[in-house]
Amino acid sequence: MADPDARPADERGRFEEIYDVHVVPIYRFIHARVGNRPDAEDLTAQVFMRAVEQLDTTRQPGQIASWLYRVSQNAIADYWRAFYRLPVIGTDYVAPGWEPQAAISRERSDEQAAADRATTARVKALLAQLPQRYAEVLELRFLHRLSVAETADRMGISHGNAKILQYRALRKAALLGETDG
Amino acid sequence: MAEPADEGRAERFERYLDALLTDGRPSPDDVADTNEAEMARLAAELSAATAPDPPGATTPDPAFVDQLRLLIRQADQGVANVQVPLPVRRRGQVAEPSARYGRMSLTRRELLGAALGAAAGLAVGAAGLAGVRELLEGDGWSDADLVAGEGKWVAVAAVHELPEGEVVRFSTPAFDGFVVNDAGEVRALSASCTHLGCQLQYRPAWRDLRCPCHGASFNLRGWLANGRNRWQQDGPYRGDAEAYPVELPPLARPKVKLANGQILVWTASI
Repeated sequence: MADPDARPADERGRFEEIYDVHVVPIYRFIHARVGNRPDAEDLTAQVFMRAVEQLDTTRQPGQIASWLYRVSQNAIADYWRAFYRLPVIGTDYVAPGWEPQAAISRERSDEQAAADRATTARVKALLAQLPQRYAEVLELRFLHRLSVAETADRMGISHGNAKILQYRALRKAALLGETDG
Repeated sequence: MAEPADEGRAERFERYLDALLTDGRPSPDDVADTNEAEMARLAAELSAATAPDPPGATTPDPAFVDQLRLLIRQADQGVANVQVPLPVRRRGQVAEPSARYGRMSLTRRELLGAALGAAAGLAVGAAGLAGVRELLEGDGWSDADLVAGEGKWVAVAAVHELPEGEVVRFSTPAFDGFVVNDAGEVRALSASCTHLGCQLQYRPAWRDLRCPCHGASFNLRGWLANGRNRWQQDGPYRGDAEAYPVELPPLARPKVKLANGQILVWTASI
């Protein structure tokens, strides 16, 4: 009658340590791919609840990190596939600095700062490939976080045209991303 | 410059972007097709990469981290488990109430009658991802969530009614559930499916709690047993043609204890 899921008593409590080490990097990893807090929180909760159920806490720290990142990758892939009917993305999508090795280091701040710089550089590189008006609208909306109305005023166009411009800019950028990959 | 086809799409997609850029939850309904989904994914990454505070960094809300830690701790430590050896009875034998377990306040017949007559208990709520959120916000997972005085111990079965391997349905004003004796470990599980709150049915042959609405099966530890991830890991679930399509949070597990020959469950006072 013993449940195969049951874990020995001496493993209990160890999980909280694992949680404290990994929750912030895992959240950041997920947030970087879903882009919003509510969904990032839900997926993070899903990953750790599954970990309580399935993760063998006697594994090596590196294996634990790998397991958590693999489950996170799957959760993110499921998210995009289930909600937006997208195919699974390859592991090459993992940005530099987000690999498990970076996450298991307790001295993460330097690596995280480097990862942030790499991400910023990636954004700039993406914008640089776009026609000037497209880059401008995305910069105002994303980097400066202006509303559509403010963006339209700044660019001297109608609100409707600002929406169309940002739509086309993202469509173009998504195509660039595909040919890069 | 506007082509009519783009105008409507751009208008709708702006709703997605607006939610994304104001830290809300964007709706998949604002994304029309695969091309727009690629745009949404790019926008999501771009939004995260350019998050304003602090620049480029996205740290979780400390309150979220604390709440999830509490949930993890409860799930990990198995707060609902009682490690007390219970009398063992083979199936089919007549229960012999022993004097040392004291007076019984409930018979199984009374228990089942009460369960059948009771209104639906604590429905755990919304589907999928949203369900996890509801769990985090506290719904009686254990008394750790409750202020003293808001909960109470309620006797739900006599100890001798729950020999090893047995599952008994119970109903209290605040909470409908099952008590389970799983190899000497007693736990209580909510009877409400974490999808839409339908009342789960115990299936002795499968040793699971089955949802009559959409066919989710929970094991006797409260975890979804026939979800896609489990299929990938353990193979098909017995008797099912296909995997349950969404992941669900585990069943709520109220705290249990034994006293005076009774199994008591901690529930809200209402």
